[in-house]
Parts: sequence; C-alpha cells; structure tokens
Amino acid sequence: MNVLILGGAGMLGPYVARELAPAHNLRITDIKPPEEDLPGEFLHLDAADLDGVVAAAADMDAIVNLSVLRRHRQTAWDVSTRGCYNMMQAAVTHGIRRVINTGPHYTVAGRHITEIHDFDIVPDIPPQPGTNLYALTKAMGLEICRVFTQHHDISVQHYLFYNFKNPAAIQPGERYAPYVISWENSAEVFTLGLDIDLDALPSRHEVFYVFADMPHGKFSNEKTKRILGFKPRQDVEILWK
Amino acid sequence: MRILITSAGHDRSTALADHLAQNHEIRLTERTHVETEREFAFSALGHDSSTNLLTRGIDAIIHAVEPLPGEDVSSQLDAATRCTYNLLMAAAEEGVQQVILLSTLELMAGYPPGYRVAETWRPLPSTEPPTLTKHMAEQVSREFAREGSLGVTVLRLGEASYKTIAVAVDEALAEPASLAAKHRSREEGGAEAWSITHIGERA
Repeated sequence: MNVLILGGAGMLGPYVARELAPAHNLRITDIKPPEEDLPGEFLHLDAADLDGVVAAAADMDAIVNLSVLRRHRQTAWDVSTRGCYNMMQAAVTHGIRRVINTGPHYTVAGRHITEIHDFDIVPDIPPQPGTNLYALTKAMGLEICRVFTQHHDISVQHYLFYNFKNPAAIQPGERYAPYVISWENSAEVFTLGLDIDLDALPSRHEVFYVFADMPHGKFSNEKTKRILGFKPRQDVEILWK
Repeated sequence: MRILITSAGHDRSTALADHLAQNHEIRLTERTHVETEREFAFSALGHDSSTNLLTRGIDAIIHAVEPLPGEDVSSQLDAATRCTYNLLMAAAEEGVQQVILLSTLELMAGYPPGYRVAETWRPLPSTEPPTLTKHMAEQVSREFAREGSLGVTVLRLGEASYKTIAVAVDEALAEPASLAAKHRSREEGGAEAWSITHIGERA
C-alpha cells in the first residue's frame, strides 16, 4: 500500500515509519526535516498548505496524519484543524478511502469534565474538549473529518493517545498519566488500521483510545482491542508494579 | 449597552448596526478596513492584545462570521475557527457578558422537507461554506458556553428579512443565554449558557 504520513518527522513518526516500512511504500512529510533517517520518500510540507497536501497525496492509498503543534495559537489551528480539512480534501481529490488521524485523549473527553471524576471512559462519547487549545483544535479537526465522512466514501480512524513512554527509561515511582503506552506498541496500531477491512468498521468515522492495559480503569481500550485486534504489550507495568 | 458587531463589510452587519444604534452604542469591526460612519476598529482577530482591546468595555458581541470578498475556503475556515476562538477568548478575559453568533439554518437543510426541525436536532453541514464554516464557529463557541466563560446565543438564520433578524437580535439581547439558563431549573439541565434559535424558514 502507498501511504502518505503527514507530520512524520515528529516524536511518533519515526516509530510509525519503522513499523510500516516493511509492508508499505511510505511518503513522509513534515514542516521540519527528520532528525534521523526515515524509510521511504521525504517531502518538506506544511500541513496547512492545501495545494501541497493535495499534491503529496497523489497516488496514495492511505493517509496517516501525525501532525501536531500544540501550543501556538496560530499554528495549532493551522495544523490540527485546517490540516484535517486539507487532508480530507486531498482524500476526496484522489479517491483515497482510508485515513488515520491522531490526537490527544481529550479531543473527545475534556479533562476538566471527565478525567478527574469518572471511570470506564470510552471514546464513543459526544466530543467535549473545552477551550484548551490543543484539545479544541484537534476536536475541530475530528469534526471536519466526521463531516467529510458523511458526504464521501472515506473512512477515518482517529487514534487518541495520552502519554508515551520508553520502557527502558522508566524510573521507579515516576508519575504517569491515566493512560500510557510505549512508543513501539503505539506504532503497531497503525499496521492494524491499514490492514483492517474498512467494511469491518462500525462506521466511516471511528474513534479509538490506544494505550496499554492499566489496572485503575479510568479509560477503556476495549474497543481498540475488539475492533482493530490491538494487543497491548506489558512493557510499562513497572509504572504501577 | 455597548455592542461589538463583526463582519462590518457585510450588508447584514450594516443593517443590524443601523437598527441597534437606535438604543445602543455600536462598534463595528472587520478583518479588513471598511468605510463606515460608525465607530470602526480594524482587527485581524489574532491572539495578540489588540483583540482584547477590541472587546474591552463591550457588553455584547454579535459575531457574524462572514467571509471577506474573494476569500478562499481554507481562509474562511480559519476565520470561522481560529478567529472565533481568539475573539471569544478575549471576550471571556475582558468580561463580555454575551455573544450572539449568527449562524445559518442551511445547517438543517439535509432533513426532508416538511419535517418540523427543532433546535435540538443535529446539524447536517456540507463540506463547503457557509454551512461548514458556520458549523465550526458554532462548535468553537459551544465550548466556551460549556465551560461557563461566556453566554452564547446562536441564531440560525433562514429566509428572513433584516427586520425579522433585528427583532430576534433584540430578543436575544434582552434575555441572554446565560440569563435564560439561570431561569431554568436544575432538573431541566439549565447549567449551560448556550441556546440556539431558528429564525425564518429553511430554504
């Protein structure tokens, strides 16, 4: 499969690229050059550049969007919201049916509302990001994707993450977020998302929480395991054991 | 009341300014320079302090979310999302009491003709302006209301005269969303400062 990775030179991108490279042809883009050699072709591209994103998606079978700029009040909107619009326009232009988008957990579950009080938080809740810049800009991107899936035969899987860990660097007793995953384990879900029969998804717009099995039950990764066949590694358990 | 009206270059904003000026102080703003006899302040609605200055001393904002002439879709989307966020963030910081968002009843055009479509129904935006951009402006505004930092009244405008729209705006100013929320009981879920009213007919 020919796969366009937007924002592939960030923190998660190299893990995803190494995971996908053996089975897929990769075209990786980013606004900054990669800090290490990445497999496949690399293009310098701003996700906010509509024409550039459309051009980069030519001849692709799938788009994986890893773009993220969290804190700046111009670029956060450019990347997380307009970037999703540009990605979906590119998918429409080239007839690309498979899109994987990414974001933080509070794209749907604003942490001021649910995280402190609740348990068994699932991804299929009405998005309520609040006004936190990162959460809201990603939530608006998610909503744009949802609208496009209502009008076009495009399937969008949203993978929401919270906290990434390098298992080898975990210190005994260190603090951790309510959901955690190792970098390597997180990359594995993208293979599942590219392999899954799109007709096996419940709808053309699905949201997944991607993290390791954790004992406290704040969030639920059950859907990710059930539908995508995700297998959490047991490589971050030292955090609570 | 001191009222800020955005999209000053749009005919509807001009008409609303003419109507509201009879009883209120009006400030117009636009993302480009506009010739007008009324108080006007250019604002790109950026995230700098100028947007705070724009909203300082304002009691209510009528946010029209209209594109500039010839503006491409991507820029329209940017204005509807990022600029709305900046405007409402500044408004919340400056203590503005009320925001009236002028949206479109075209958001409900996807429902079959003859249905009695209510404000509580899900909007059905297309992937093009104006429904996509108005929808996104609603979505951004809703989060401010959800957090309680602003009272937001959404007026989804259908086929309606300027006079009808002006009356709706008058009514919204008389009973802001936050006030309406206070009047509802807790059992009715009246905690959110968010209301939607459909004005006119679906096309």
